[in-house]
Amino acid sequence: MSTLRKLTAWLIPALCLLFIASSFFMATRPSAGFDFKNFGTLPVVSNGRVQPLDSLARNALLSIHGKQNIPGDGAPATSAAWLAELNFKPELADTRKIFVIHHDDLLGLTKLTRGEENSYSYAQLLPSFPALQQEARRIGVADSKTWSPYEKALMLLTRNLTLYNQLKHALALPGQDHLESEFTLFLTDIGGALPEVAKNDRGETFDQTLIDSASSRMEIVREWASMTEVYTTPSGTGADGWRKLPDSLVDAIDQGTFHPSTLDYARMGDAYRSGDSSAFNSAIKDDRAWLSANRPDQLTKSSSESLFNAIAPFYLCMVLYVVAFLCAVVSWLWQGSTLRQAAFRVLLIGLSLHTLGLVTRMMLEGRPPVTNLYSSAIFIGWGAIILSSILEIFHRNAIGTVVASVVGFTTLLIAHHLSLSGDTLEMMRAVLDTNFWLATHVVVITLGYASTFLAGTIAIVYLLLRAFGHVPKSTASSLRGMVYGVICFATLASFVGTVLGGIWADQSWGRFWGWDPKENGALLIVIWNAIILHARWGGMIRERGLMVMAVFGNLVTSWSWFGTNMLGIGLHSYGFTDAAFFWLSVFMISQVLIMALGLIREKLRVNDQ
Amino acid sequence: MQGLKLLSSLRLTVALLGFAMVLIFIATISQVELGIHEVQAKFFRSWIAWWDIMPGEKKVPIPIPGGTLLGSLLVLNLLAAHGARFKFSWSKVGMVVIHSGILLLLLGELFTGLLGREAQMTLNEGQILNYSTFPREVELVVIRPDSDGLETVTAIPQARLKDGAEFPFGGFSVRIQSYFSNSEILAESEATEAFDKTHATEGSGKGYAVLRKPREATDDRKDLTSAFVEIIPDGGKSQGRWLLSNALKGEQSFPAAGWLWKMAIRQRRLYHEFSIKLVDFSHDRYLGTDVPKNFSSKIRILNPDTGENREDLIYMNHPLRYGGLTFYQAGFENNDSTTIFQVVRNPVWTIPYIACAMVGLGLLWVFSQHLIKAISRRNKPTPAP
Repeated sequence: MSTLRKLTAWLIPALCLLFIASSFFMATRPSAGFDFKNFGTLPVVSNGRVQPLDSLARNALLSIHGKQNIPGDGAPATSAAWLAELNFKPELADTRKIFVIHHDDLLGLTKLTRGEENSYSYAQLLPSFPALQQEARRIGVADSKTWSPYEKALMLLTRNLTLYNQLKHALALPGQDHLESEFTLFLTDIGGALPEVAKNDRGETFDQTLIDSASSRMEIVREWASMTEVYTTPSGTGADGWRKLPDSLVDAIDQGTFHPSTLDYARMGDAYRSGDSSAFNSAIKDDRAWLSANRPDQLTKSSSESLFNAIAPFYLCMVLYVVAFLCAVVSWLWQGSTLRQAAFRVLLIGLSLHTLGLVTRMMLEGRPPVTNLYSSAIFIGWGAIILSSILEIFHRNAIGTVVASVVGFTTLLIAHHLSLSGDTLEMMRAVLDTNFWLATHVVVITLGYASTFLAGTIAIVYLLLRAFGHVPKSTASSLRGMVYGVICFATLASFVGTVLGGIWADQSWGRFWGWDPKENGALLIVIWNAIILHARWGGMIRERGLMVMAVFGNLVTSWSWFGTNMLGIGLHSYGFTDAAFFWLSVFMISQVLIMALGLIREKLRVNDQ
Repeated sequence: MQGLKLLSSLRLTVALLGFAMVLIFIATISQVELGIHEVQAKFFRSWIAWWDIMPGEKKVPIPIPGGTLLGSLLVLNLLAAHGARFKFSWSKVGMVVIHSGILLLLLGELFTGLLGREAQMTLNEGQILNYSTFPREVELVVIRPDSDGLETVTAIPQARLKDGAEFPFGGFSVRIQSYFSNSEILAESEATEAFDKTHATEGSGKGYAVLRKPREATDDRKDLTSAFVEIIPDGGKSQGRWLLSNALKGEQSFPAAGWLWKMAIRQRRLYHEFSIKLVDFSHDRYLGTDVPKNFSSKIRILNPDTGENREDLIYMNHPLRYGGLTFYQAGFENNDSTTIFQVVRNPVWTIPYIACAMVGLGLLWVFSQHLIKAISRRNKPTPAP
């Protein structure tokens, strides 16, 4: 019997490992037909950094559409495939319904009727461009804080249309059907016109038509270059040594010949249009071969990033945390130690994957773990899981696993929604460009957030168990010990993190403390933790009071993490902030209700006795 | 005795910290309306803070304990608690270290407020300056050019600039007819009804009208301070009316008592015993974006007293500490040809470093003691709920 139990305790983790392995296998399997997988690995510079086409496509699609799957029959299956279609068959891509419009007034302005998906295509929106531009000009003058929901929605839509257009011009010029021959014509026409220009300079007779045709071609390429901000062609050295595709055509005039990568993109485009997958794949292969000989580091980096995108480790982690949570909760009712062990093992698998994802991001960025709001969410989850795993090892009652999986799942869900606002591996502004302070202040303060949330979550478990069930004395004392210990850690981390932030501010702006909202938010966490500790030492609160106060810590921390950012609305994505405001309010209200539950039920019980 | 007991009680600590949280939270949300400087003065450097619940609407101010009051009570509470209950033991050492560190931190913040100065230096490429200016403070200067090429400068601080204020200079006096702590200046032809009816009769401010405005609250907007000023010879009649403002460039001259004087309203200056020359300012952005990658100022320090003449580089997170001052890269303008330094004098800047180390080590000491106790107590599993 005990062997069977042991087996069961390993069976669920083993299934989870199998699930991960299959995801890895799917991510690395070469694609049949058009090789969009390798197409997605090609490095370009956008948003100031070298990134694979896959990331470019993914982030754009998430910004525009909110998700990666495109509706409609025969729609591209992956974001890289969508990018290929957008550039090489734009007339088809323009019919894909990817622009999301919810606001009725905006639908009215664009004269569209509400469909099932609230999604509309570029072609459907095209007739409304003049009206949209006029509105955007009017709204853009006002302070973004004063925008109404309709105005925000309109600005978001115009921003997404611009993004779409920029991407559309990254790898080809829409309207040119045979890129390779157009490129070659460009070079021969300009080459043919140069002697005529020289003749003109010398005062000899010259052929005006040659000059005219060349300068109109030049004009087209110049115009094209102004339409995109994607740098496709490596030239020179480093991250700055990249050229846009149209600019690489201009460079070819001096060189006398095209950059190999320029021609490869032209061949990809022509092959895609003619449906010739083997020509498409061989152009990609040639480009990768050239890159691996000349830009090996950047090719490796972009290939790893695209693999990282395909595996999506944080998504897998979310699945594992759900499994761990279910096993752990069921273990309280049935098959206690077997399921508890299984749950903890699944949690540890999730933690390893979480760590792998975190480390990969760090290596891709060359930075400490936390560089923006997105990565802070990933790191808070990670820190909380580590701490609660330690608790689980000591207490062995599945509470650590439950709490870890809840915090891990929630923070990864938050991270997913944050990633909708754009590139999560963005470059650091000059003021933040210091690995030392990012590694010390930011990491420590984020651990402070993580541990305060952890204490609050354990307290929620206590209060819910107390309200809807029965808490044995020994469990109560174990929960009390956990909350108290975690609050001690939270006090240390949030205090040291806050003061390190002050020291950083002293180093970069010359003032230790400026009472800025984010600083104040961090200080509130420190003070709240200090209040809990002093109230406990002074005997002002007992077990239940400690728990209720720890839940209030969730409120304080969420204010510091998100609330302070909403005051200034300085965040680049207005669409996100409104949704975040809603969810933050929901979270805060739920915490208040749980605290109330902790206070009320106790009174009832006292009356019962 | 009862009083001392209350003063040293943990209940008071918790209550004061609770009030501190309320204060900090309200001060944070008030920043949206008031701006950071006003909030600091109103909430943190005050005994009682009057909180305006509905800014812009009806005024309903509610008193809450201010930063100074809470800070001093917390210090008293801390001293009383340690004084009343102090008994040496190794386990108490951690607590004493933590609280001394916090005390030091609070005192450091107090001294920074009292002794610290913050100014700015705006330098064009090639320019040499031996002073910084205070961006939120002006002065009225009256300058007498002396025969030997030197100037005698009389600077009147902003606090003394008021409607009707009169400043005697041997032979004449400068009288402020009307003073605008913040204003908008337009050509008379474009001015509306709301503008002040007073006009200048002399100087470069002729033909302009002035509109009174409330002071700017936010960091990135500067007050335009203006005043209509009359020059009145002793026992005589007014020589005319000048419009002075930090919006008008340069000084305006007037003849009085045998000299050609000059006067102006300008940002208050902090003179240094050395000069700084901006050799070169550079600003890189990430390819294809407006995101700044770095900005840096190559400067030359010129100190006639010590004979120093050397180059240095000031950039983000790498300030220059020189002559008791610290120069930070704060901004830039004019198409990347002008740099702006934040110039800070803070003699107590080391205190937070020491305090942080004390509290951090103290907390580590106390909590690891807890941890060791907890681990030795528990090494058996506890039942599930």
